Amino acid sequence: MFSNYENLLIDDKDNDMNNKETYGLNRPIMQLMKCMVVVVALLASSVVLAAVHNITLTAKTLPNGQLAYALNDNEAVIPGPTLFVKEGDNVNVTLNNDTSIRVGFKIPGLQQSASKVKPGESKKYNFKAKKAGTYAYHGDMRGKELLGLFGALVVDKAHGPVDRYMEANGNAVSVNRSDIDKQFVLFMVGSTFWGTEIASDGTQKPLWANPHPGAVENDIVRFHILSVGPGHTFHLHAHRWFKTGTNEVIDTKLLAEGYDTHSFTVKAGTGVGPGNWQYHCHLIAHMEAGMHGSFIVDPVGGDGAGIIGASPYGNILLGTKPSEPGVVTFEVSDEPASWFRSARGDAIVGLPFDIKTKSLEVIYPGSSVNFIMSDTNGVHTISSLLWPTGAQHMPFDQSSAYRGGGFVTLHTPGLYVFTCKVHPFMFAAVIVDDPNTQDGLDLGNPQNNYTIDLVTGFKNLPTSSDLAVLLLKTFFIATAPDNWQDYSSGQWNVKYPNLPLITTGGVVNLSTLFNINGQALSVGSKPEKRGVGEVWVNTQFEKTAGKNKPGTTSVIDTASWTVKRKVALPQINNNNPHNMWTNRDQSIIFQTQWFDNKFSMINRETGELIKNITVGYSPSHVVTIPTTDDITIAINGENGLYMIPAGTTRVEKMMPTQAHGHISANPHGHWISADGSKIVTPNINTHDVGIYGANGDIEARTPTGNNAPGAHPIAIGMMPDSSKIYAANLLHHTMSVLDGSTGALLKTIELIKDYDPFTGSIVDKDDNGVEAIGVLPIQSPVSPDGKAVVIASMGGHIVIIDTATDKIVKSLPCDPGCHGANFGAKEGGGYYAYVTTKFGNRLTVVDLDPNGNGKLSEAKIAGYVSLVDTPSTAKDDTVSGLPGFGGQGVLAVPNVYNGWVQNLPAHWKDALTTAQQNPIGH
Amino acid sequence: MSFQLNQLCCALELAENSNATQSSPHQALFRKLLMILCLALLLVFSGKSNAAEHIIQLTAEVTRDDGFGNKLLAYKMLSHRVNGQDITNRYSLEATIPGPTLELTEGDTVKISILNAIPGNEVAVPGISKQVSIHVHGVHYNILSDGTLKVINKVDDEGAGAGLEQTYSVYEYFWDVAPGTAGTWAYHDHNFETHNGAEHKGLFGAIIVNPIGAHHYAKEYVLYLGDDAFWGMEINGANKKQSNHGPNPTLTAKEDTHVRFHLIALGTDLHTFRLNGYKWFDPGTDNRINEVAIGPLEKHVFSVEAKHSAHYEDKNLSNKLLGMRGKFNVQ
Repeated sequence: MFSNYENLLIDDKDNDMNNKETYGLNRPIMQLMKCMVVVVALLASSVVLAAVHNITLTAKTLPNGQLAYALNDNEAVIPGPTLFVKEGDNVNVTLNNDTSIRVGFKIPGLQQSASKVKPGESKKYNFKAKKAGTYAYHGDMRGKELLGLFGALVVDKAHGPVDRYMEANGNAVSVNRSDIDKQFVLFMVGSTFWGTEIASDGTQKPLWANPHPGAVENDIVRFHILSVGPGHTFHLHAHRWFKTGTNEVIDTKLLAEGYDTHSFTVKAGTGVGPGNWQYHCHLIAHMEAGMHGSFIVDPVGGDGAGIIGASPYGNILLGTKPSEPGVVTFEVSDEPASWFRSARGDAIVGLPFDIKTKSLEVIYPGSSVNFIMSDTNGVHTISSLLWPTGAQHMPFDQSSAYRGGGFVTLHTPGLYVFTCKVHPFMFAAVIVDDPNTQDGLDLGNPQNNYTIDLVTGFKNLPTSSDLAVLLLKTFFIATAPDNWQDYSSGQWNVKYPNLPLITTGGVVNLSTLFNINGQALSVGSKPEKRGVGEVWVNTQFEKTAGKNKPGTTSVIDTASWTVKRKVALPQINNNNPHNMWTNRDQSIIFQTQWFDNKFSMINRETGELIKNITVGYSPSHVVTIPTTDDITIAINGENGLYMIPAGTTRVEKMMPTQAHGHISANPHGHWISADGSKIVTPNINTHDVGIYGANGDIEARTPTGNNAPGAHPIAIGMMPDSSKIYAANLLHHTMSVLDGSTGALLKTIELIKDYDPFTGSIVDKDDNGVEAIGVLPIQSPVSPDGKAVVIASMGGHIVIIDTATDKIVKSLPCDPGCHGANFGAKEGGGYYAYVTTKFGNRLTVVDLDPNGNGKLSEAKIAGYVSLVDTPSTAKDDTVSGLPGFGGQGVLAVPNVYNGWVQNLPAHWKDALTTAQQNPIGH
Repeated sequence: MSFQLNQLCCALELAENSNATQSSPHQALFRKLLMILCLALLLVFSGKSNAAEHIIQLTAEVTRDDGFGNKLLAYKMLSHRVNGQDITNRYSLEATIPGPTLELTEGDTVKISILNAIPGNEVAVPGISKQVSIHVHGVHYNILSDGTLKVINKVDDEGAGAGLEQTYSVYEYFWDVAPGTAGTWAYHDHNFETHNGAEHKGLFGAIIVNPIGAHHYAKEYVLYLGDDAFWGMEINGANKKQSNHGPNPTLTAKEDTHVRFHLIALGTDLHTFRLNGYKWFDPGTDNRINEVAIGPLEKHVFSVEAKHSAHYEDKNLSNKLLGMRGKFNVQ
């Protein structure tokens, strides 16, 4: 199905040639269509006196969900129509809005923000082109304009040359408009170029995404490079030009964050000859994200035609121009579940296939996937998780997280899943459907028995295997809140797409196989025994009315096991609060905003904000140094830990997690030894555990995951006497056990040894006496007394390891998206492990030793606590959606870990037993 | 004139589809002779008696193990001859980050070859390039000297080692340091592992193209702004010796001497550079500035009269907190 355009498909193996032909055929039609486009602007601008331009633009929604401006009745294009006027001209713009959201029109530097146009309405804007230059115009929509509502306005001087270029002999030559053979507009947006070609007669032709613009050697070619959003540097190989307004000769130019422009003129191939000369952004992260194309300089006598890029109208599901390569676009967002939201996500959900996710797209071979970080304050990577066996350009990845996006062309049929390495529950799935198969969407390559490869090195996994199905189910639950376990609703429904999918085992329909309809849900009973103090839970996805970013913190009273307070912090638009720690006297809660660059200090007793502090991008965990009370913050999107001295609110320094010049480690959930001498980080980008001295010296970097690629160590637990370190390897499904002083690897505990990835059967293969699995392990603290490690595994399991043997002794069930774990004191002695889940809204309380006999095999779930607010819950904002969801970081107050518990004020110690006050007995 | 002659050579190379020393039976001596003839003609007809011919050999090595098995890559100078005269001794004997700084003059020609000393580089791995290359900014070269992979340039895998399609043990590039190319430019790898290369793993250096009759400086400092440190080196203006390579180097100058800073950014971060207490001319203008925004592979060259000791630093928040700064000691 969805293959009705098969006759028009481009053969991906030879797409250059084919595209060239397509381009040639299209050209006369395009010219006919486009000559209207420029008539208005050109006619007006060719007169000598100041002219008045009347321009009508219409904002439209494209087949792939992107937005674009159209001039008059023409096709809407990205970038928008290039407007040419002269200095001193007056410009009247009528903007019609055919989209479903409010659209504006702003030209930084010329025309400031004015009111926006509601859907279906129109509005007039006018401005005077008072100063020559190249300007970006855009929709002024808090990031939504990055979906395509941007274009170039070129204001040339009314008289004389418009630019100059450099000859091969070094002479500068003035350029009049009539000298120019071609102009190219290239917008740098996210990690993608969007191009337009303007012929010498003014005809405009869209080149779409990452095109290969063409010219003939010695053509005089004027480039207009513009950027909206994160900054870039533009580099064109083998050409050089004047930096605007100076005599400086450059070949690379910074386009600053926000909005920036740079125009220059070259003589194509001068001094260097013909060739496919690459142009690209020169930021490594953007290069790796696919931000490049070629300037094709044909020898004299060639047609200089170039090759068109990927079009929003092109060869994608429901595309209107299947003969052109297409592109689908995901917005990268801080919005729960829709972290990678297809630009046409609402339309996809609206199709009659019961699709609940906005993170699924369908394209045909040779089309592309575009990611744009238009709705996030954090940094991310666009990284392959799985792909069809043998697929080109896989795995797609960047060596550092950054602001921008990604662009990848997919040729091989099958399923591709992308994630962000920093936030590894962000998922986008793209199915490249083989037009030659008629029975359904292809989950793998028909040429390769429909198998997939995983980033962790698993090759040729059948798409009908239990593991492949498990991963698919995880995707459809994580990206669709309708499929989450809402205990306040009393029932659970899971709907998978009602679509035939072709797998290794034949055609399947997930909907008929796995849908869950109306399963009864109840929170379950509260723990019988009380805990000590409070439990703070980052309900990271809960929405409140007073802010547009998600996340609250739910404070549980362990005497009554009720939510006594919700801390939303609407005044700072608190964005995805992820993890917490507290100071010695337990008066201040420290909290990271994982999708932002902010760190907050909160008054524990009142829930009021003390200070919101700018830190590095995507801060994940915070831990104090027990001996000093200094604050250490893992900067998950960058290359170190921020340090804030005790009692202050000022960042003093950043402790690097790697030697100078080495690949950024991107630490996530660190821990600190009880004596304060060692900071231990799980380095998600370099797949190792780092051990750092208090002075910042790197003492060890120990690889985890037995040399498998992409083990992704994510959280650290440490023995109370610092003798051993435990690291959870998210994608390797293992725990690495390291020597606490040398960092030497002692053991790798396999958490899915008992699991058969093909059949799904679970038998005791590791001979530890229990059938237990922990798929996708995340937080894994060691109990304050050092007896056990409790591992929250995202696949829905809580695994308990006996530290005496380093073997699994118990497995307990957990809700989908099981994530955080931490220990707190149980009243009268012993400890509770508090376990959070992202896609459910209750807290699981685990009692490691319910009978007080020390037998970990008797560990059980003591009870559950609803995270949904009640009328008696104190609040600083009104819960407006996803109540109690997104459980991640969890912190028990008082902090009873060895090293910290000793520093508690007396009134906190009084609530603890002698053993709890001295967890390792000295 | 010089340009046309060079293009003649290039056209011939294109026709023969090689300007490299291939592992497989390689092209005839004829081509080399022709090239020498061309270069000779170029010298004769360019009318600039001071145009020099540079013959340079670089290699790329593994270096700077952090003590835990994590390594960087670096270029090393094997040989540099100018009009037959050996000037190799001005360079470090070791592979350095940044790599050797090549001082050239407008009108010069450069024949530069790359060898690959990274272990395993000759073993082809499907989908992964083991090549290292030299992609240079600023000067003139034809498509065979772009230093990119065939997937980009559509002609050849232009580096040393096993590329995606072609393996070379040595690869040679020809640069025409034409009039109008004066300035400081980066050279860097473009081929290692992917078509993006390994410039961010240490494979970068600078060329300084001086106009004919340029001013001489007591010291030249090359400062690459990376993602966590400056990678610098300095050149003694008198004896041209290159030294002091590494992260955040302490730069030294004698009081009242004129010294020149060559900034190039590289990596992912955008930077704001300051040399505290100094002002300089924004290149190509009459504007005096005391800080500059600079992004990857942009360059910014300025000179100052050394008057007082100062720190140079990056104002980017995380880099500043990481200690991305160094001393400029004036004695």
